[in-house]
Amino acid sequence: MTEAASFGEEDIRALNLLLLVEYTQAAFYKEAVGRGALKGKLLAYAKQVAAQENEHLRFLKRLLKGEARRKPSYAFGEATREPGAFVAAAADVEDLAVGAYNGQGSNVSTDVLAGAATIVSVEARHAAWIRSIVGKLPAAEATDRALSSDEVLDGLSRLGVRR
Amino acid sequence: MDDFLFDRLDVDGALAESLARTGLSRAAFLGAALGSSTALLGWPIESADAAANSPATNDVFILNYALVLEYLQAAFYTEAERIGALRGKNARAAEVVGSVERAHVEAFRGVLGRKAVKRPTFDFQGTTENPKAFLKTAVAFEDLAVAAYKGQAPRIESKSALAAALAIHSVEARHAAWMRYLFGVDPAHAAFDQPQSRPEVTRVVRSTNFISGPPSTKADRSPRYMG
Repeated sequence: MTEAASFGEEDIRALNLLLLVEYTQAAFYKEAVGRGALKGKLLAYAKQVAAQENEHLRFLKRLLKGEARRKPSYAFGEATREPGAFVAAAADVEDLAVGAYNGQGSNVSTDVLAGAATIVSVEARHAAWIRSIVGKLPAAEATDRALSSDEVLDGLSRLGVRR
Repeated sequence: MDDFLFDRLDVDGALAESLARTGLSRAAFLGAALGSSTALLGWPIESADAAANSPATNDVFILNYALVLEYLQAAFYTEAERIGALRGKNARAAEVVGSVERAHVEAFRGVLGRKAVKRPTFDFQGTTENPKAFLKTAVAFEDLAVAAYKGQAPRIESKSALAAALAIHSVEARHAAWMRYLFGVDPAHAAFDQPQSRPEVTRVVRSTNFISGPPSTKADRSPRYMG
């Protein structure tokens, strides 16, 4: 994939929104693992997904280079302290990531689209995985909605992201 | 165990055996005999590939390619449900995913209208008849669909067609994780999912012999399921 210098404004804006999502996910899972409230399948899920979100984060930062936005701050509250709240927040943040990538997919250049497409399906796998663990329906809908930037930012705020 | 696709999928050796038994002669026969829907999965029919060179028809070609993959998946789950060898969580997954894949078929048919390819006939080689073979095949199908959509997304020209493909792509990934979880393999085996090109996907699908005939009621043998 090409580098930030050759991206247009729209690509950079889109990649920075996705970077915010990846920052959030990486921090959320890291904190959840660190607080020690998760056990068994949930802990295994959180550890593996934390590592994968970190890889996504590095990928996006490498693309954006000097154009990358700064890291936000977070207040995840109960979601990283209590398993039930963790499951609900994990499902939410993964759905949000899928919607964010799908929403930006139609706005970006072909190069960025190709790179983002390798990530969005992994986010969708996480969304189904966390639901599988707790016996919820992993995929209820025929299509995933594309979220607007504002919807993504609202969703992140609800999860405790302080930009 | 991880990250397998159709080319490494074999149901008790049955696929390899049938491939060895029929081999190229059968493929050559089908290539000569089949209509446009199988051409989309790579049978060497020139007109289909020639049509793909025109920008206006490129999206139609890609959408029809997706439609054939959706026909394949829809028929697989529908047959599994009809045969009734699945129980509990597996049966529920086949029922839900089947209804979604049928919805995808209808969506593409709706978008394509008269340009939609017809449904081929399928022979799932017994994989719909027991839970283990079902799950193994479902995992392979879903991972393949994810890779196939990902391979085509950057080639789609129309924004609305791209949006539709992306909206379905991530649902296939949810299905892949779901089936992997039921089968007991890692639902998200890598941080990045890689695309597969149409020739790669085609080779894999052909290797299964799951597409048994053209979209016709005059097949030379009775398919197990006509969709």
